Amino acid sequence: MESRRVVITGLGTVNAVARTAPAFAAALQAGRCGIGPITVFDTTGFPTRTGGEIRDFSPHETIPEALYGKRMSRSDVMAMAAALEALQDAGLLPLPGDLREETGVAVGGGAGGMLEGEAAFRRHLQGKAAAVRFSAFSAFCCASSADHIVSKLNLGGPKTTFMTACSSGATALGYARDLIRDGQARVMIAGGAEPLARTTYAAFNALKAVDPHYCKPFDRHRAGMSLGEGAGMMVLESLAHALARGARIHGELLGYGISCDANHMTAPDHEASGAVRCMRAALEDAGVAPSRVDYINAHGTATPANDRMETVGIKQVFGERAYAIPVSSTKSMTGHTLGAAGAIEAVAAVLAITGGFIPPTIHLTTPDPDCDLDYVTEGARRTELAIVLSNSFAFGGNNTSVVIGRYRTENRDHA
Amino acid sequence: MPDPVVVTGLGVVTPLGTGKAAFARNLFDGRSGIRPISAFDTARFPSRLGAEAQGFNPKDHISIKNRRRMDRLSLMATASARMALEDAGLTITAANRDRVGIILGVAFGSTDVAARFMETLFTEGPRLVNPILVPNTVMNAPAGHAAIEIGFRGINATVNHREASAETALAYAAAEIRNGRADVMLAGGADIFSAFFFEILTHFKALSPGKGEDEEARPFDRRRNGFVVGEGAGVVCLESLTHARQRGATPYCEIGGWGLSSSPAPPTDWPDDSRGPVRAMQRALQGAGLAPGQVDYVSASANGAVRLDRLEAEALSGLFGPLPDGPRIGSVKGALGESFSSGGVRSAAMALSLRDGLLPPTLGLDTPLAPLNFVRGRPQAHPLTCGLVNGFSSGGTFVSLLMKRQA
Repeated sequence: MESRRVVITGLGTVNAVARTAPAFAAALQAGRCGIGPITVFDTTGFPTRTGGEIRDFSPHETIPEALYGKRMSRSDVMAMAAALEALQDAGLLPLPGDLREETGVAVGGGAGGMLEGEAAFRRHLQGKAAAVRFSAFSAFCCASSADHIVSKLNLGGPKTTFMTACSSGATALGYARDLIRDGQARVMIAGGAEPLARTTYAAFNALKAVDPHYCKPFDRHRAGMSLGEGAGMMVLESLAHALARGARIHGELLGYGISCDANHMTAPDHEASGAVRCMRAALEDAGVAPSRVDYINAHGTATPANDRMETVGIKQVFGERAYAIPVSSTKSMTGHTLGAAGAIEAVAAVLAITGGFIPPTIHLTTPDPDCDLDYVTEGARRTELAIVLSNSFAFGGNNTSVVIGRYRTENRDHA
Repeated sequence: MPDPVVVTGLGVVTPLGTGKAAFARNLFDGRSGIRPISAFDTARFPSRLGAEAQGFNPKDHISIKNRRRMDRLSLMATASARMALEDAGLTITAANRDRVGIILGVAFGSTDVAARFMETLFTEGPRLVNPILVPNTVMNAPAGHAAIEIGFRGINATVNHREASAETALAYAAAEIRNGRADVMLAGGADIFSAFFFEILTHFKALSPGKGEDEEARPFDRRRNGFVVGEGAGVVCLESLTHARQRGATPYCEIGGWGLSSSPAPPTDWPDDSRGPVRAMQRALQGAGLAPGQVDYVSASANGAVRLDRLEAEALSGLFGPLPDGPRIGSVKGALGESFSSGGVRSAAMALSLRDGLLPPTLGLDTPLAPLNFVRGRPQAHPLTCGLVNGFSSGGTFVSLLMKRQA
């Protein structure tokens, strides 16, 4: 059984409220808001100005010179910083030589190197072909984050990148868990990375999905999301492998589920059918009965449609017990980090378990009759948690939920 | 023994035709899909050749309601998914739709749509961008559109990892069948090229003729000087052998194993040594419980790029030995160009080769760079039981799929 159980032994994150996982735990407990004026690009002419930006983010402060690649995008640097923190946390930095070929990387991406690609594209439009650094376009492919991690750490295991919009990070975690269970890798570095970029900011504004101030998940006056940026990474390995090397175990990645709305490219399904099937698939994969879930880290984007739909879906999956399960959206603090969101929120879920607290939903002041669950509005709540469900629902109807459990030494019997 | 994962349906939109019949006829006749590009004017570029999809009429495959919402990439991917299901004899119903899914590889996506969106953003400003374009700028648009049009609601994911995207998608989908998370998985890849993308490839000096003289796709040839860009979509239908038998379907072949590996390399370059690609092929063989000597044919990733083809030839020599009686080796990219997420189309070709005992010639290969047993000149009749499909990408990502005849 130990070889089928996949545990989390390292955590790393950079986001608008924290530069490390321990700092993230503190920020989540304090209910800190990372949403403010965007400075990473000029917001003149945009309908909105705010987002969850990582301020004063410098690659050279974040990662050692030797691990910094000249052509790394902002997103690549975030991914590398979170991956290094996760490996350090797992006691795998430096990585033992015999593990290199058995260690892989799975990253969920979104805009990738878009921020840098945009600058090249503008010069291209101005007809300054000679001045265009075309190498910047290579960063359009968000595969470069995983490429840099493998190259700089000299790895040899499976490597891939998912782009399922806002569920990319969660999908990468689930996929990495499968690779370990199926014997394709012994250690996986998995998560997601996303930069703030003009293109995505313009796109979500064009869809009128951005709150001009800060997002207010599940609030009656919610007016859309706040876009954010960051990376979240985990080190995953089989329980047997973790025990054999005496690793500290943060928690267990119990299972995940994927579904598709097959309904509309950008609008959530009012009946929450996709979300319900996704949450149920994850619980079934984890072997966890709905009655055992202690906390739900919601997708909770603060768009009117998502939050209503997600509330409906949680009620369908959990029945009357839905009202007794704390549900919160940490996007109220970090902003919606799109391709990284599922990974950053999974890191939050692990920190909640190890720290014994439930992160709050901040900015929720006016209850919405359509959103009538316990959204943890009074601030972080101290409590023991055994099982957390984290939801990510995306454009394309791509839904992924992951189930994370407190590590227990006995054979799995969460059901 | 786990229940084998089998291929029961093929759907393709390629430069050698749309649908498996036209594709097979042209591929195994040794025809080329490479011609002067018709979609845009290439006068300002040093390259003018491309392999554009042929015989594709979206009306034949997709409802008018959804057609209007899709761009060319999603149209081709959705049509391929529908053809694969039809070929497998499957209909999506309320009873099966939650156990049918899709995993697609998309390497670069709709670069033309993204460029149009960004052009408005940077010339007219953020308030004037067209929201209608947004859904088709994301890499997961094709898989999302396919699910909406066809109605399957199970697992849905998109791999976005350069030239290894589709092979990774196929390996993931096969694992999902084996792990019991789905009854039927569609898997493959789709990519298209645009003038904007062609310009980027030109500046990267990736395209033939590069610094050479003649513009041509020459996989594994000493005179190769870059690849010819291609496009297309290919989707195969996967299910367990038990599931296929229960519904009376006849599999083309089995996906017996898959291997995934990586090597250090800059994102747009290739590693210096062949340990990574060798490891991917070894892992695929191990997964199927087979030895290198049992491989009859390798559908190579080689596309005419100077570094890739040398790397793959080294890896093949290393794994199989430089023996003339080693497995036959070929690359369909001499006929189809490099279409990035090509693993769906190339897996469909492998399924047909396994079924019909025919190997397509490696067009453009006249002077081999290594003493390997290349299929060149003319198509070969060669009964085979076991083949590898390699998906190698710049940046050092390697996937190998082992496909074999049903015993």
